[in-house]
Amino acid sequence: MQYTDACVFPLPLGDSSLRRMAFEARELGFDSIVAAGVAGSVYRGIEIIGGTLIHAKETREVQAVLRKDTPQPSLPIVSAGGYSFNRAVIQAGWAKVIREIHTTPRNSFDHIISRMAADKQVAVDLDLSVLIQERGYMRQKVLQRYADLVSLQGRFDFPFTISSGARSILEMKSRRDMIALCGLFGLDREGALSALGNVSRIIHREKPVEVVA
Amino acid sequence: MKPRPPTMRGKRRYILVRMDPPGLDLDGRELYYAISESLTDIFGDAGVARIQPSVVSCGEGYAIIRCTRSAEEKVIAGLATVAYIRERKVAIRSILTSGTLRSLRQHLDTLRDGQSFPERDVTFQKRPWISVRFRGTKVDLFEKGFKNQERLFLTEDDLEE
Repeated sequence: MQYTDACVFPLPLGDSSLRRMAFEARELGFDSIVAAGVAGSVYRGIEIIGGTLIHAKETREVQAVLRKDTPQPSLPIVSAGGYSFNRAVIQAGWAKVIREIHTTPRNSFDHIISRMAADKQVAVDLDLSVLIQERGYMRQKVLQRYADLVSLQGRFDFPFTISSGARSILEMKSRRDMIALCGLFGLDREGALSALGNVSRIIHREKPVEVVA
Repeated sequence: MKPRPPTMRGKRRYILVRMDPPGLDLDGRELYYAISESLTDIFGDAGVARIQPSVVSCGEGYAIIRCTRSAEEKVIAGLATVAYIRERKVAIRSILTSGTLRSLRQHLDTLRDGQSFPERDVTFQKRPWISVRFRGTKVDLFEKGFKNQERLFLTEDDLEE
């Protein structure tokens, strides 16, 4: 299984270069990282997957970003929004990963969207940086939200990805740390390891069998 | 007073951790307060009382943390949420958990390389920096100046470009 940190922010968004982050990721037990706003490459055996982060309020903005020519294919990661936005983005298959669900209202990702995400194999990203940066009420809200997502995932089996959301190598977490942090909201070891391997599964997704003749 | 026999003592687990960035000089007391505060934030006072965390040893970028058996996952989660100590950005990464101190100390001997960190002046992005090289090809840049020194984490390949 290829373990991936599903979102990091190298220089100039953070204080660490992409290569240093890749180097650190290898020491922390990862095989690849998804880096925001860079082209895909390989550095010292670590696969760097380019990620396109899309913050949009309306679906046509998402479409506009995806239509733009990019030099290399990258992983489209869309920030979650309201119910209709999430539903449209997942239904149309524009996003491969939906992130920042903790910032949206609780009803913006329900059992119907969960089933849709499972059918379309759109992953829900669990950003662990918010658990570290937030304290008190805000952290409790995020833990509650993630626990709710874990219960929905147990029922509908849509994929999770786990990201450190690191802007510095000091914010990157090892696999061991990520598993322990996932335990705080009820995602067990097997679930966390499976989630860490989901990015490669999403990218190299097997298409359904088609009858061609 | 007779010491309590081993079979009647509570079982403990020991966690070996690495403290980043390299060159960080933390003492055990500071580390203990940081861990204790982090664990209290997550599990509350009653939880920390059950976990019984303590710092067994601390120095040269590594530390050994003790806790009650079956609380090691909680301690690792708590360590992962420590982001600042004395207003300095840090990362405390758990490396190994064991039931005995001896096995951790043996592992620690293999990790300590006793390398010195050579410094030199470099220019990066048209600004003057002091570069410090660490094991592998890691290079940290410290901005020259008195206040609010920025620190960048790069590799030798980044500097050569």
